[in-house]
Amino acid sequence: MTRFLAKRIGQAVVVIFFVTVIVFLLLHSVPGGPAHGILGPKASPQAIAEFNRVHGFDKSLIQQYWAYMRELLHGDLGESYTLNQSVASLIGQRIPKTLVLTGLSTLVALLVAIPLGVWQARRRKGLADYAVTTVVFVGYATPVFFLALILVIVFTQKTQLLPPQAPQTQSIAGLFADSRALILPVLAGAIATVAAFSRYMRSAVLDNLAEDYVRTARAKGASERRVVWLHIMRNSLTPIIAMLGYYLPVLFSGALVIESVFNYPGMGLLFWNAAQTSDYPILLGAVLVIALATVIGSLLADVLQALVDPRVRGAIN
Amino acid sequence: MKRPLTLAVFGAAVTLLVAGCSSDGQGSAASGGTPQQGGSVTFAMPPNATPNWIFPIGTPGHLASFNGAIRQEVFLPLYYYDGSSGTVALDEKAGVAKPPVYSNGGKTVDIKLNALTWASGQKVTSRDVEFWFNLVKANKAQWGNYNAGDLPDNVAKFDTVSDTEFKLELTKAYNPDWFTANQLTYVTPIPQAVWDVQSAGGKVGDYDRTTDGAKKVFKYLTGEAGKLSEYASNPLWKAADGPFTVKEFTTTGQVTLARNPRYTGTDTARLDTVTFKPFTSSDAELNVLRSGGVDYGYLPALAVSQSKSIENSGYQVKPWNGWAITYIPYNFNNPAMGAVFKQLYVRQAVQMSIDQSTISRVLWHNEAAPGYGPVPQTPVSKYLSPVQQTNPYPFDLNKAKGLLTSHGWTITNGVASCARPGSGPTQCGAGIKAGTQLKLTINSQSGSTATDNMMQEVQSSLSKIGIGLSIKAEPLNSVLDHTAQCKPSQSSCSWQLSFFGTAGSWYFPAYPSGEQIFSSTGSTNLGSYVDPAADDLVRKSTSSSDPAAMQDYDAYVTKNLPVIWMPNPAYQVSAIRKSLGGVVQDPLANIQPQRWYLTK
Repeated sequence: MTRFLAKRIGQAVVVIFFVTVIVFLLLHSVPGGPAHGILGPKASPQAIAEFNRVHGFDKSLIQQYWAYMRELLHGDLGESYTLNQSVASLIGQRIPKTLVLTGLSTLVALLVAIPLGVWQARRRKGLADYAVTTVVFVGYATPVFFLALILVIVFTQKTQLLPPQAPQTQSIAGLFADSRALILPVLAGAIATVAAFSRYMRSAVLDNLAEDYVRTARAKGASERRVVWLHIMRNSLTPIIAMLGYYLPVLFSGALVIESVFNYPGMGLLFWNAAQTSDYPILLGAVLVIALATVIGSLLADVLQALVDPRVRGAIN
Repeated sequence: MKRPLTLAVFGAAVTLLVAGCSSDGQGSAASGGTPQQGGSVTFAMPPNATPNWIFPIGTPGHLASFNGAIRQEVFLPLYYYDGSSGTVALDEKAGVAKPPVYSNGGKTVDIKLNALTWASGQKVTSRDVEFWFNLVKANKAQWGNYNAGDLPDNVAKFDTVSDTEFKLELTKAYNPDWFTANQLTYVTPIPQAVWDVQSAGGKVGDYDRTTDGAKKVFKYLTGEAGKLSEYASNPLWKAADGPFTVKEFTTTGQVTLARNPRYTGTDTARLDTVTFKPFTSSDAELNVLRSGGVDYGYLPALAVSQSKSIENSGYQVKPWNGWAITYIPYNFNNPAMGAVFKQLYVRQAVQMSIDQSTISRVLWHNEAAPGYGPVPQTPVSKYLSPVQQTNPYPFDLNKAKGLLTSHGWTITNGVASCARPGSGPTQCGAGIKAGTQLKLTINSQSGSTATDNMMQEVQSSLSKIGIGLSIKAEPLNSVLDHTAQCKPSQSSCSWQLSFFGTAGSWYFPAYPSGEQIFSSTGSTNLGSYVDPAADDLVRKSTSSSDPAAMQDYDAYVTKNLPVIWMPNPAYQVSAIRKSLGGVVQDPLANIQPQRWYLTK
């Protein structure tokens, strides 16, 4: 296991290194640099020259990359071109807020999706299964922005039950203190995810229902509840755990549409705006975080699968 | 409000514009009721506008409009222009100085300061103005507004006459209107007795009077300005002389200004606090507006049709028109099409194919107004020549097509080709080879349905006169990156036409001269337009005191078409709570919250 982990961590470092090289080269290959876009049409040649000097665009690409890597290895992600803050502090502000939103959405989705998937599988091809499948498909197919808009109209304008925007505080405690304001963004994020997870769960349970061990358990007189929730459930969770691992970068990269509709500045919006404004240090920093989350997520998925499934554990060992 | 912050609006305007904008939707919001003292107001900032700079000398990248709007409430500029009088004019109460007196043929400016004090109780003096000049002079490369030859280069000498009076000796004679409106508005007295230090806790001195010292002081102050989270607590930024002080300044962009109890001017704030609220999108702002969460907000372009329901919720809905023009520059140095663009008849044909009134009415729902020249079409000003007012190139596709065919172009399969090369009066023009086709490409700003529709309408109109137009939509920053001034041999010169005016292409300071955009040496003459006659007229408009100089420039450039004139969109369509009074929708896109009040 230790060897496996060391090998995977080594691979992760190489992957992240290549991600930084590729993203850096792609961004810095734009002719003329980002100065015109960032400073606007009113910028004088002197302002553009100063911007390029301060941010190193007057140097060769290799010198720029070297400077970037040197800072990165010292734990410095650089300064945003437009927000007058360091990338590390921006990411530090946004990630906790983002994780609250995406984490809660995923948690709610899992709490609904897992029992729903099991329930549907046990009633497969029944009227209830078809009805739930239809509803779930509608939820899955509805664009998030449209779903969010409907939620806003119904719950904030027609009934005025909930506030129209997510909590505006900067602290995590403040977010939970204003928990009513979290309901709509979390719900909007959870609905589409419920659909995805419940379908996976349903098909995994269906596969397991036909397995020999289920028949054996039943033959040995185990109650249906015990068969489903102990035997089938544990085996059916493997694909969900794998999915969750690969879902980690999604949790970190934020939920652009929800952040945008509910006035909740998180990682998704930070990345999107940086892409729109050519704020390279933020783009590089965010890509690094997402790349890190991706490799950690896939590693976690493998480790968790090994914990749940002895067959996987055996393969690793 | 969809305007990008890159289109920063720097204060300024000139007096004596013809009155008439107070009744066109720009004027003070009618509120009714009895004005109250105190209260709090929430103002919605444009999507993703996050104020992030308080120091009055902005470095490149920190000049976005809301930084300026907020900072000018805390640190008063020497001169401030706005539309509060119904015209774009000098607003003496909102600045530090009395109107300047020019002498010596426009080479000497005598300025007297009003009686104002810093929060410390010390007077605002000439030394505070000199401090600003010294810092900017020693660090001009780092000043985002620096343009070679302009401030501080054009001030040869700063003479202190007394604590409240100083003289500027200029390097040459300037048009007084231009110099006051477009140069002196940048100057902001800053508290020398507090800020002239080289390190935190350091002793105050006259360090700014040496170049090295001024560099160290500037470095220290910009370093402090980089600590956003300390804006509300750092004693440096508490030394305000304006009607407000900073109460809250979050790293996510929410700013709350509180009435400055130590303000000694005549423009005292009536509200207790004003909160500038950031939004992640215009839809998020609309959701909050609908639920009554902002007092002064805006409608996204696609929601303008819902203005009745917003009005029924207790708001007034009115467009906020900017002191701006909107246009599409031609790249005269483009290797493929530069020679074509240099032909006035081609530019005339293109201009006559733009149906501005229909585009404004149908595609912009009247939230844009046709513009025919280099001076803002509205509000009507003394700078507007009769030529621009009457539109020399009205929409006429037949005439446009005739211009091309009479100059040797034949239209086959909908695209015009040059059949008669040469520079004669009935030939295509110098540098245009036989067989050259009128196929153009435009880089257009993405993200706005109105702009997308407008581009398609222009494409359709041009196709009717034999000009093929390919539209390449990109985010605003990419369009600007790809619209660089260039030489024909450079790879960056491949752009032909460019549109970045969804929120107006160019917001003018108060004096709408064209030295930056239409003079051959202008820093934002993106298409490298070169015309000695235009250069001469631009020069006269900024250096001569002849009042006709601006009109002459306007008339010539209107007809000479250095760019394609396009309808100018409103700055935003505002929704102002009916109980909020004293609001002026300033064409210079500034705000004067000290004059806002709530009514009962």
